[in-house]
This record gives sequence, structure tokens and C-alpha cells, in this order.
Amino acid sequence: MDVLVDAVDLARERGFRLRIPRLGIPGGRVTALFGPNGAGKTTLLRLVGGLETPSAGRVVIGGRDAGETARRRVGYAFQEAVFFSGSVRRNLELALDLRGVRGRDAEARIEEAADATGTTALLDADARRLSGGEGQRVNLARTLALRAPLTLLDEPLAQLDGATRLRLLDDLPDLLGRFTETTILVTHDLAEASRLADRLVVLVAGQVRADGGMAEVLRRPPDPEVAELLGHILVASPAGTMAVHPKRLRVGDGPVRVDLTVRRVLDLGHEREVVGSIGDARVTVALPGGYPEPAPGTTLTVAADEAVTFA
Amino acid sequence: MTELASGFVEAIQLLLHRDPEVEGVVVRTLLVSGFATLLAMAIGVPLGFVLARKRFPGRTVVLGVVNTGMGMPPVVAGLFVWLLLVRNGPFGSMELIYTTRAMVIAQLFIATPMVMGFTVASIQALPPGLPDLLRSLGASRARTLWLLAREARLGLLAAVMAGFGAVISEVGASMMVGGNLRGQTRILTTAIVTETSRGQTERAIALGLILLAIAFVVNLFLTRSQQARAT
Repeated sequence: MDVLVDAVDLARERGFRLRIPRLGIPGGRVTALFGPNGAGKTTLLRLVGGLETPSAGRVVIGGRDAGETARRRVGYAFQEAVFFSGSVRRNLELALDLRGVRGRDAEARIEEAADATGTTALLDADARRLSGGEGQRVNLARTLALRAPLTLLDEPLAQLDGATRLRLLDDLPDLLGRFTETTILVTHDLAEASRLADRLVVLVAGQVRADGGMAEVLRRPPDPEVAELLGHILVASPAGTMAVHPKRLRVGDGPVRVDLTVRRVLDLGHEREVVGSIGDARVTVALPGGYPEPAPGTTLTVAADEAVTFA
Repeated sequence: MTELASGFVEAIQLLLHRDPEVEGVVVRTLLVSGFATLLAMAIGVPLGFVLARKRFPGRTVVLGVVNTGMGMPPVVAGLFVWLLLVRNGPFGSMELIYTTRAMVIAQLFIATPMVMGFTVASIQALPPGLPDLLRSLGASRARTLWLLAREARLGLLAAVMAGFGAVISEVGASMMVGGNLRGQTRILTTAIVTETSRGQTERAIALGLILLAIAFVVNLFLTRSQQARAT
């Protein structure tokens, strides 16, 4: 189910303004909306979910206006999981009832979504007394049970504890494949975005600054600000500003060479790491076996196979 | 203490002997206060919803007026309604003054701010994300209001109790606009004042006990439904 954000303009309080000339989100994929706090990620998600009306432009879902379509064909898991009083099962029944799914069909969907999200044991619990993590999982179960063609997830893993988060991070791509067709998720965690999504949209101050396949955007950020947001290090070079990702750096020689000021060397037993800085950025690079240990304060040349240069 | 005990005995006698005047006063009290409370709910609950959920210029002032209204002395409400309904007042031609309808209107002025205030508080106490959740699930406006009201039912029942409690116990407004006419506009509270001023203390105590019993039964019923739904 394709989503098109067309010439949208929406002004919000405190001078914030979301302006998107055109953004196409293809169906059948998982797209992450990534950006710093206050970039407009949730506002864009709410527009797609039909909860906000743009002051100009339109949002089209599967060829129809979002306002008409969203409430029947979109599942929305809010960042803050809210529930009505009563059991978890009652809350899921209510959600399905509002979508016209009742009786045995509803029961089957509830059991299936609860099983998939590991919330079966919570079905008869009081929904208002769930812990943050439990609430988040039930929130996800409620959204998945709708089996909506388009699913919107706002920071779906934000309140989960470490182990549950890692498990869901593993399970979520499969769950989304089973329960929905197209997913848009909001996150400010790049690792989460890259694990869950195959497309990346970077928002900064209400504007789309990058949009494309996950690997492509990560590898070739369009400007220095986005590059920094995506974890690249900016280095001044004769050709302009160069962005290089620290994970691509290694001690030795290569097409892109950067000077690293050594701060200390960590001996982890199985390997050694050099902790240093390139400009203001703190970087850790593995030290090859047998390589002489550099002294703190010295300069070490590190290299990468490629970098992006902005004139 | 002796007076209280004999008042209690007389109250039972009045009820057992089915004193027609007392029965009339009791029925009139229930009708006036019951009707005023129902009207206050019909007006105060929707307005309370709007006030709780909508943001508009002057909202804080309106909330301030409602909160002041919750503590308004009944006699002031009575005076206001009396000025409106008195023969040469703006609505004098309707000839409502010194009727039970005038008493319902006066009690409506007392109960409505009470119902509105409690409604605002109970709706605002709901998780703020619920309306968005319902919208995202496709709930109609009517269903959204119903589901939110059901969720806030404890507070809304408290609004009924507060409104009914305020009007069934007030005397000043009813005395002012009803005139305390025997057999026509006399209700329990005004009857108690009359009997006390006549020196019929035991009869006044009896009427007071009947009033308390009515308030207790009504509130017991409301509390039971409130607590049953709370579990």
C-alpha cells in the first residue's frame, strides 16, 4: 500500500513547521522515519495516520486521502501505550470491534497476535496495571491484531528492557511480514532503524533531508548534517568536507586516510582497541595483532575504503 | 437528645400514618431535585466534555466561572432566578415565580456548575492518548464520546451525587423563588425551616431525618453502582 505525502505544509506550536514537497513511501516495505528529537517524525506519522490535517497539501494512502482511509486500513501503535480499564483481552476486543471484527474471528486474531508478541499470559491481566514494557508489547499486539495493510509504529521498542528489546528487534521483521503489508516506523535510534527497516527517511527540522534505500542512505548521506546524524565523522580535506563512517576505519593504509590522535589503548584479551579522536569525534579502531602499541598523544594513520566528500 | 429521639419516633409515625401533607412534601422534593439534577446532567455533562477536551480563547475564564459556580451560595442562585422570574422581571410574563418550575430552574443553576466541574475533572483525568487511540481505530464521534464517558463513569456518577446532594439540601433558593407555599411549593428543607420557626421542633427533626434518609438511599444506590463498576 503506497503512501504519498504531497506538498504538505503543517505549522505547529513554538514555530515548528513540517514542510514536505513530495515523499513517496512504497508499499510492501518497512520505512524508518529517523531524525533528532523535534524533527517532525511523529507529526509526519500522525499525518499519515489521519490524526492531523495538513494546512496545505495532502497525504494519499493507496490512492485515497489519508483522512478517509486511515481509520479503516491503518494500524497505529502510539509511543505512549494507552488502554481502557479492563483486561488486555477486552482492550484488544474493543480495537477489533471498532474495525468490525467480532466473535470467533476476533478471538482467533487476539490469540494469534498475543502468541506472536509473547503476551498470551497477559491477556487476562488488568491493562491499566501493566509495566511499561508489557504495555508496549500489548500495544504492538493490539496493532498487529488489526491486520491493517499499513502499520504505523511510533518508537515501538522505546520502553522495553534490554533483553526484551533485543528479542523483539529480532522478531519484529518477521511479525511485520506476517501481520501487515507496509510499515512506517518512527525511531531516533539508528541501530534500530537499520535492523528493522529497508528504507530510511531522515527528517531534520520538519524537512526531509534524505530518502532512499537503507544501505544507500547510510553509505552516501546527502549533506554533512545528515552524515553526522547517521554516525559519520566529518573531516576537513583539500576537496571539501569529507564524511567517513568510523566502522569503516582500520589501522593501516587505504584510499581515504585520516589522522587519529591516540588517547589510550584497550586490551580486551582477544583483541586490542585504540580509543582516539578525529577532530571532535571520539573513535574506536581495532589494532591489528602484532601492531606496536601507540603511545597516548601520538598520531596514528587510519584508513577507509571510501568516504563521501561535500564540496 | 430527648428531642432528637422523639423526632425520630415522630418521623416513623409520620411515615407509618402516611401523613398526606408530608407525603406531598417528600414527593415534591424528589420531583424538583430529581428533575433539576437530570436537567443539570443533560446540560453539564456535554458542556463539561467540551470544556475538558477543547482549547479555545477564554477557556480558563470559563473554568474559573464554573469553579466559582460550584461554591455559589444557593441563596445567590435564588436571588438571580428571582430577579429573572419576578413579575416585572425579564421573564415575568411566563408567570413561573412561586411555582415548582421556578424551583427547578433555581436548583438547575446550583447543580449545573457542580456537574460540569466534576465532569471536567473526570474527563481530564483520563489517559490523554485515549481520544487519539479511538480516532485511529475508526470510532465514530458518538462512539468516542460514549466510550470516554464509560471510562470516566466513576467521576460522572460523582457528578450526579454532588449535583443531587447540593440541590436536595438547599433551602435559600427554593424559599426565594418557590415562596414555601403550603401544598404547592413546600419541600422538605423549606418545611423544616417553617416547622422550626413555629416551634414544632420534633416535626422539624422528623422531616430532617426523612430528608437524610432520602439523601442516603439515593447516594447509596449511586455509590453501589459506582463501586460495582469500579471493580
